[in-house]
Amino acid sequence: MNNLVEQIVSWVIVLYGSAVPALFVIFLIGITGLREITRYETGNTFLYKLNPVIKLVLTIVVMTVAATTIWWIGAILTLILLLSYLTLNEGVRKFGYAFFLTLSTILGGTWSIAPYTPLSILQLAFPNVKQFTVIWKFPSYFQVMGYEQQLTLEALIYGLQTAFRVAPVLLSALLFITTTTGSDIFRMFTKIKIPIAITFSVLVGIRMIPRIFELLDTSVKMQYIRGLGYGKPKIISSLLIVYAIFEAIIPTMVYLFRGAKNLAISADTRGFRAYPSRTSLVELKFTKLDYYGLVIIVVLIVLAIVANLLGFGRTIPYVGA
Amino acid sequence: MAFNGIKFDTSVPGMVPWEIVTIYFIVGLAIVFYFARRFGLKSFTTIDLVYIAVGAAFSVVWEFYIGSFIGRFLPSTPFIGVGFWGRMFILLVVAALVRKPGTGILSLLIFNILSDLFFYGFGGEPMYTIYEALTYGLFLDLVIVASRGKLFGIGYKSGNGSSVATRTVVGLAILEGVIIGILFAIPDPIFYLGFFRPLISGAIVNWATIQFDFLAFIPGDVIIGILGALAGQRIAKAVGQ
Repeated sequence: MNNLVEQIVSWVIVLYGSAVPALFVIFLIGITGLREITRYETGNTFLYKLNPVIKLVLTIVVMTVAATTIWWIGAILTLILLLSYLTLNEGVRKFGYAFFLTLSTILGGTWSIAPYTPLSILQLAFPNVKQFTVIWKFPSYFQVMGYEQQLTLEALIYGLQTAFRVAPVLLSALLFITTTTGSDIFRMFTKIKIPIAITFSVLVGIRMIPRIFELLDTSVKMQYIRGLGYGKPKIISSLLIVYAIFEAIIPTMVYLFRGAKNLAISADTRGFRAYPSRTSLVELKFTKLDYYGLVIIVVLIVLAIVANLLGFGRTIPYVGA
Repeated sequence: MAFNGIKFDTSVPGMVPWEIVTIYFIVGLAIVFYFARRFGLKSFTTIDLVYIAVGAAFSVVWEFYIGSFIGRFLPSTPFIGVGFWGRMFILLVVAALVRKPGTGILSLLIFNILSDLFFYGFGGEPMYTIYEALTYGLFLDLVIVASRGKLFGIGYKSGNGSSVATRTVVGLAILEGVIIGILFAIPDPIFYLGFFRPLISGAIVNWATIQFDFLAFIPGDVIIGILGALAGQRIAKAVGQ
């Protein structure tokens, strides 16, 4: 009987850890939410007005700071970046989507590390802990799935700390995308002398990502209209969205590839690649606001240096309190 | 030594010697320069660039937003790689549409730039871009070159210029899909587990794991290789390429 309970609880833990982050994305963000936080919308606040080069450097610096300092600096950066979504156009809604995406990333990130981390790594990560706190013991056959036999509190903390390396980077990258026009990204790449063919492909890719979400959303809705999950319990019907997304992939791909011809013709008729470089009516300017952006970048770099000097830096595996 | 948040370690026991990896990537770069000189970016028409961009965007959507969450419902084992399989499938479809040397490398380059813009924030770059473009991308390009631009049998004609039987074309697609599947199983165990992981995180190198992972990757990658090749054939026909 005990063994049966152990089996059931083990599987519930596994499914809970795996399913909750995914369900956050499916039900609380949805395809519409993903589209919204991956596309540019006009705005007039600080982040929209920053020079794209400054924003790009800021993203890289956030990544560097999160990667080279203790976990709680990454956590503070996550919070600050999350709150800055409130300053965007339709900020509250975007903040909501970003919040659930962050939560999903942190939970998913923790779970993708914690049960798989061997004791030898944990001993390096927590050199001062003499006895690890065992939360649960998985059945031995779970090792086939890569699980360690014991799930410890320290493994969960280690997973959480590692997740805070990813969360601020994701948030800053999406902030860059949601506040920068395609044209500005084009100008930015042109300024740093990236070949026009590569710049063009990157730009088309940036424009396509929210479009793909939009098309997948339409296709999924069409499948529900045609009777997908009809008469089935609501929970089953809702979960069929995963199946519907699978079904939508090839038609969406074909639709986009067919549409590619129109885009190519449109670009060619405007003289695309007639000359090795393009001139622009609008020049990227360095304004007063960009100096503020520059100050933020410098502060972050100084913060990383000071943190490392004070012993709040870290390597992989993370060593610290 | 450290760069861009990565601390390098080149003396982990069992690690692939850095000299061998450097020689591989120098040879890879030489091939890229050869492609660039012989064909260049100019060989790609605007529509080719759009196909590559759409494929890269689709790969980002799959790998970071859809596939990664679906993958959480499945056991973590080297036999299953939902995120990677999706990217591989899409890459093969794009290769079927473009069929020019350089398609693989350029696709991986655009995918990596988009991944950095949307997700990674340029962490670990340019190392990951070089690694992916000169392994997966290069392997795909070598298959394109070997097929003389008739990848997956698309546009393949018999000696006298007449069309060949559907069975032959499907057979060619399956054969090339199998070859690509096996090739795509190589980089992660050899280069990542054997070199980049110990280089970045000082991870222990276990050659039994490397051998096991290589063998475990093959079945899934081969199946996706075949499916991607056949889907590529169909989509190329549907799109009129």
